[in-house]
Amino acid sequence: MMRNILVLLFNDLAIAFKNKTFFLILFIPLFIFVSLNLIDGSKAETDKIKIGLVQDEAYAPKLTSSIKAAGKLMEITWVKNEADGVRLLKEHKIDGMLSKDEKVPSRLALLVLKRESLHTIAIVQSFSALQKAAEGRDPDWIATVNSLHEGGIQRQTLPTWILMLVLLIGFIILPAQIAEEKEKKLLLALLQTPIHEVQWLIAKLLLGMILIISAILLLHLLGQFGPVNFLDYMAFIVVGSFCFSAYGVCLGFLCRNQASARTLGVIFYLPHLLPSAMSDVSEKLTAIAPFLPSYQLYQPLQAILLEDGKLANMSFDWIYLFLLGLLMFYLSYLLMKKRWLM
Amino acid sequence: MQLEIHNIAKRYDQNRGLAPTSFNVVKGELIAIVGHNGAGKSTLLKMLASWIVPDGGTVIIDGIDLKNRAAIVRKVGFIPEDPNLFDFFSVEYNLKLFAMLNQIPFLRVEAILDEFNLLPFRKTKVQALSKGLKQRVNIGRALLSDPPLLILDEPTSGLDFEMTREIYRLLNSMHDAGKTIIFTSHRPEEIKNLATRIMVLHQGSLIFDGLPGAYFQSEIHEQLYA
Repeated sequence: MMRNILVLLFNDLAIAFKNKTFFLILFIPLFIFVSLNLIDGSKAETDKIKIGLVQDEAYAPKLTSSIKAAGKLMEITWVKNEADGVRLLKEHKIDGMLSKDEKVPSRLALLVLKRESLHTIAIVQSFSALQKAAEGRDPDWIATVNSLHEGGIQRQTLPTWILMLVLLIGFIILPAQIAEEKEKKLLLALLQTPIHEVQWLIAKLLLGMILIISAILLLHLLGQFGPVNFLDYMAFIVVGSFCFSAYGVCLGFLCRNQASARTLGVIFYLPHLLPSAMSDVSEKLTAIAPFLPSYQLYQPLQAILLEDGKLANMSFDWIYLFLLGLLMFYLSYLLMKKRWLM
Repeated sequence: MQLEIHNIAKRYDQNRGLAPTSFNVVKGELIAIVGHNGAGKSTLLKMLASWIVPDGGTVIIDGIDLKNRAAIVRKVGFIPEDPNLFDFFSVEYNLKLFAMLNQIPFLRVEAILDEFNLLPFRKTKVQALSKGLKQRVNIGRALLSDPPLLILDEPTSGLDFEMTREIYRLLNSMHDAGKTIIFTSHRPEEIKNLATRIMVLHQGSLIFDGLPGAYFQSEIHEQLYA
């Protein structure tokens, strides 16, 4: 009996090797290891709070001297104006910015990326401790905490969930379906009818787009999340779903069967998802993520959903996604014409 | 129907495939292509069905180049060895889907269901059918657009005696209806009973092309089935 179990086990291992499942076992831990290294590059980098102060603003001397005195804990970055500070905040070059509070001009307003985050709590606590040490009274330097990203935790994580949905359909579901049609020779059967290759490709592209858009709409309905700029948001979702559906169709053409499609899908899914979704927590990932098409979707989604962004300010992102989608569509067409792995 | 094949070739790894091959086929022929496994039989048929892109050579069907797929698809019906149907849908759905894509009225589907004795199975999912029945659906689907040339890759492979006889009956009736048929086979009795012309492929090269009588008297037949 044991012998049979071993024979079957070795057969299963051979299949896993043949259909490239083994690559996932190597790839996933390796990828997570690299990502973790990028997040926690050095201890000092994560511990030190970088506070932006506006050059023309008149800060209490005790405040600036206290920050300078706590050099191991905090670091001042002087910004030209508030807009410059917002830019640095988005790029994760600073953790927060102090400026004059509009309601109580004698006190300060702290601007952070996300209000409900451990990082924000750490900043507020640090300032409270500094003030207590410097003035010996109850902390009141910071009157309000404003965040760049509007909404609660649920809304703030929404762009990540949407990116997950888009990539899941684009990189896992769609390539598997195309590989299945190739594996079972169904695509070849369809090509024995007068349909044009482009018609089949457009149908698959539309399938991907419908699945993505339906999933996103369902998510919004269930969570009752309403985008501020609905038309801008929908336009971006359409362009994004076009790009990642075309990407998925192309991946499907690179695979002979469903098992290969699954493996290749995961290999593309994780590197597209994690750097973009985790770019909020790492300066290094923020620098790497823009090279990925997923970031060109994630970043505008975040801007529209959390920062009241407008499509007009995201021309580069949507043109990039559209052109990439077109390129992938054309590559799929070439592979189909050559009956690649069919 | 006139089929002109000139220097069609395909090479795979390890020198397998089909060497440049040329031959002509005229209307009404029923050609059996025989040879060992890996001789290039299926490769040849798949190239004629546009399943494989040839490395070189030309194929002209009724004056139209094979590369003009849209114009040629209605002229060629290809039936692969393993039925390639949408398993999770019914027989009727499969036929209607291809009828729609071929822009053929559904009346033709009814006629095919009737002609191939598939009426009792019209609502049955393909995955629940035997291989013989699937093959019947597959042939029926290929005949939807009434193509003058039918190409069958080992049509009776894996079928029992009854189903094999049924396929022979269908091939004969299609031949009687004036269709040109090319099929591959490993069965001498099948070739003897059906073919009007025999072609033998060996290691990717055409080594015999002639009448069944000449073939069965030749050394090639003895060597093939020794």
